[in-house]
Amino acid sequence: MIVCAALVVPPDSSVYVPQELAHRMVGLDYGNGTAYAGLQMLEGAVSRDAVTTCAAVTHPGERYAAMVRGEFDATVLQEPWITVAEKAGCRLVSTTFFHGTWVAGPDLDPQLYAAFLRGVSRAVRRITADKRRYVSYFKEGWSAGYPEVQALTPDDFNLGRIQLREPTPIPEDEARWAWDWMASWGLIHGTFDVTTQINRKVEREAHDLAR
Amino acid sequence: MTARTMTIEPVSAFSSLDVLVAMDEGLFMAEGLDLRMASRESRDIRSTTEGTVSNPVTNQGRLQERGEATMFQG
Repeated sequence: MIVCAALVVPPDSSVYVPQELAHRMVGLDYGNGTAYAGLQMLEGAVSRDAVTTCAAVTHPGERYAAMVRGEFDATVLQEPWITVAEKAGCRLVSTTFFHGTWVAGPDLDPQLYAAFLRGVSRAVRRITADKRRYVSYFKEGWSAGYPEVQALTPDDFNLGRIQLREPTPIPEDEARWAWDWMASWGLIHGTFDVTTQINRKVEREAHDLAR
Repeated sequence: MTARTMTIEPVSAFSSLDVLVAMDEGLFMAEGLDLRMASRESRDIRSTTEGTVSNPVTNQGRLQERGEATMFQG
C-alpha cells in the first residue's frame, strides 16, 4: 500500500507554504513512517538546520489535538485524520506518499509469502476499482470517543489520497537511498549492503510463485 | 486444502487497507493462507515521546523479535 502523509497546520496559522515552517516547531511521532515523511517534506522546503521538530505521540488523533491546542505549529497526519483536519479548516501545506514495506525474519517461508502477495494483489485490484466502497475502513478502530472520525462520510474523503499498488520486489536503488537518508539523520550507521537488508532468494521465489 | 497459518503484527487502514480487505473478504484464505493479526500487550507499547529524532522509540517489530509474528510493516 502507498501511505499518504500530510503536513498540517491549524486554521488560524500564519503558515501557508512549507517554507514558512523554517524554525517553527513541528510535532513528529519519531520512529514511524509519518515522521520520516514529515522530515522529508520539510527538507524539501527549508535547509536542514531550519528543520525544527519535537517528539509527539504516535496516536494521530492526540497529535492533531495537541497541534490545535498550540503545543506545536504543525504536525504530520495520515488518514482518517487528514480528512478530519481538513474538515475542521486546517490546511495541508504539503503532502507526500511512501511505501509501506513489510519486514520479515530470515525464516520467512516463500510459499506463505507468495500466498500473502497474491491475496494483497487481489485486494489492491478490488479497492482500486471502487475506492469509495472501502473508505469506511479508515473509520474502523476509532471508538465513539472520536466523534470527528465517526462523523466522516465517504464524500469527505479525497480518493486521490488513497493509492494502492500491487507488491513488487524492493528496488535496490530505493533501498539504498532510504538507507543513506536515514544514516544522514543518524538513525542507522554503516554502509548499505543489499545482501544483509534484502533476502533476494526468498523475495524472488515468493514473487515467482505469486505470479 | 488445509490453510497454513501466518501471523503478522497489527496494522491499520492508513497503511494496510489492502491487507484488511483481503482478510475480511477471504482473499488470503482463497490462497490457502490463514492470516492472523497478533495483538500488542501494554508492555509492548512505549510512547514515541520517549524518543528523539536520531534515537526514536518504535513499537514496530517487537512481536516479530519475540517470534509472535512473522512480519511487520516497517
